[in-house]
Amino acid sequence: MKSFIILLFLPLFISMANIPVKIEKKIDKEVLSIFNIVDFSKELVLIDDALNITLPLKFNNNNFYKIVNRKNLIGYFYYGKALSKADVFDYVVIFDNELIVKKIKILAYREDYGGEIGSKRWLKQFNDLSTKDRVVYSKDIKGISGATISARSMTMTVNKLLESLTIIQENKAL
Amino acid sequence: MKMYFFVLALFIAGAVLAQETKQDSLRVMNRLSYNNASKLTIGGYAQIDYNEPDGSTAGNFDVHRLVLLFGYKFTDKLSFLTEIELEHVKEVFVEQAFVNYSFNPKFNIKGGLMLIPMGIINEYHEPPTFYGVERPGLDHDIVPTTWRELGVGVSGNFSEISLRYQAYIFNGFVSYKDGEGTLRGKDGLRKGRQKGAEAVASSPNLSIKVDYYGILGLKLGLAGYFGSTQTDDSSIEGSTVGVSMIGFDARYIYRSLQLRGQYIYTGLSDTEAYNELTSSDLGSQMNGYYGEVAYDFLPLIAKKSTKNLVLFTRYEKYNTQSKMAGSMESNPAYDRSNITLGLDFKFVPGVAIKVDYQWFDNAEPANDLLNQFNAGIGIMF
Repeated sequence: MKSFIILLFLPLFISMANIPVKIEKKIDKEVLSIFNIVDFSKELVLIDDALNITLPLKFNNNNFYKIVNRKNLIGYFYYGKALSKADVFDYVVIFDNELIVKKIKILAYREDYGGEIGSKRWLKQFNDLSTKDRVVYSKDIKGISGATISARSMTMTVNKLLESLTIIQENKAL
Repeated sequence: MKMYFFVLALFIAGAVLAQETKQDSLRVMNRLSYNNASKLTIGGYAQIDYNEPDGSTAGNFDVHRLVLLFGYKFTDKLSFLTEIELEHVKEVFVEQAFVNYSFNPKFNIKGGLMLIPMGIINEYHEPPTFYGVERPGLDHDIVPTTWRELGVGVSGNFSEISLRYQAYIFNGFVSYKDGEGTLRGKDGLRKGRQKGAEAVASSPNLSIKVDYYGILGLKLGLAGYFGSTQTDDSSIEGSTVGVSMIGFDARYIYRSLQLRGQYIYTGLSDTEAYNELTSSDLGSQMNGYYGEVAYDFLPLIAKKSTKNLVLFTRYEKYNTQSKMAGSMESNPAYDRSNITLGLDFKFVPGVAIKVDYQWFDNAEPANDLLNQFNAGIGIMF
């Protein structure tokens, strides 16, 4: 009986520390659809505290992972939260193994205003960005009427993420 | 001295000073407590105006509205949002106060004092989000912005098909209270707004809006509002009217170009009996539209600037007595057309300095409407 109970709780321990199980499932689904692999593992990337302080987006919260398939590095993903009008939303940015953005997905959006940023077509605009790229809202990224705060927030977050990754690469911390 | 020049000088001075302000445009939009763990959000908006009709009439400075927003997250799914408004400094209103339970992005349940989704401005009325110092006339006389009532409803986003929906049951306008009628030809339903203050309730109203945003840069909205007005004495025949409002709106952004337009149809039934009872002149139909073109020409001057300098013009045509029931004639003074031409300068997305000039006209052969110069500051954070 004891071992049964332990088994029951096991999934909780092996799942990613900071990412809710429901969210993790969604991320897995995206990874599957992008890279067409079922059999992969997620390896937490740890960034040195001293370096982390200098980054525009923080990487110390167990939120950046390598996607590995049979010892081959397939890609990375960053899971984070960003501001909407009066709340925060959860997103994931999935990269290939050269840190090119493959997909951004809004995983949880909690308020009514600004939910339009979940639009696949809108988020597609960020695909193929490399860590060298920066985007300007309403120039490179088309705006969404009525969802300006969230759309700007997502755009700014992507820029911060790309900038952070540039710094991480420069410091050869990957 | 003409106040124009004074205000214009302020505008130019502001534009010059703006070169000095910080680049990080989103700082203004970031709330006081940017912290993922924070449960409290503080925000708000303000509109400070200067209006001067043509001729020798004196101008008028006004803190038109100052609105404070508070949001509180009880749990990950349950939140409360309220906006408290100070109008003309001395009047206090509650603009919104509702709880929202979010099952998932596709399905939220809301209840409380909420905005009726009709057209563009009623829902998105923060001054930096629209051009011109004053809100469009159509969104004053036909859609009585800021139109909010008590109700319950559902809303959500289907991001796969780029669709947002909202559906509510609201308490309606009051048309008859304390032995008097409230609605009239000049501004239709506006005086019937109850704003959630000791509101009379005799019959519920249905409000629906669907927005489509599947084409990048474009947003289309279709709204409907159906029901009846409220009366404090339903035994009096003719003390209520039926209301059917349908609104279509479109917004399009392509680089520096922004277009928006709105059409509103309102059908009111039983107005003949209502006008007879209350000696009013309420129309049986109120229709109108506006179209607006705006262009940000700052990128042409300063390519790398993160600020905006927008030239815009808006044409409006609306009539609060498009049709009259019975033998009453429409008043040509209520068949209005306005042209607004102006500039809007944004330091950051949350701060706009505005100047514009409005030409007012109506269908009266010889009207004495005065055109008007406006200047103002719009802020949101």
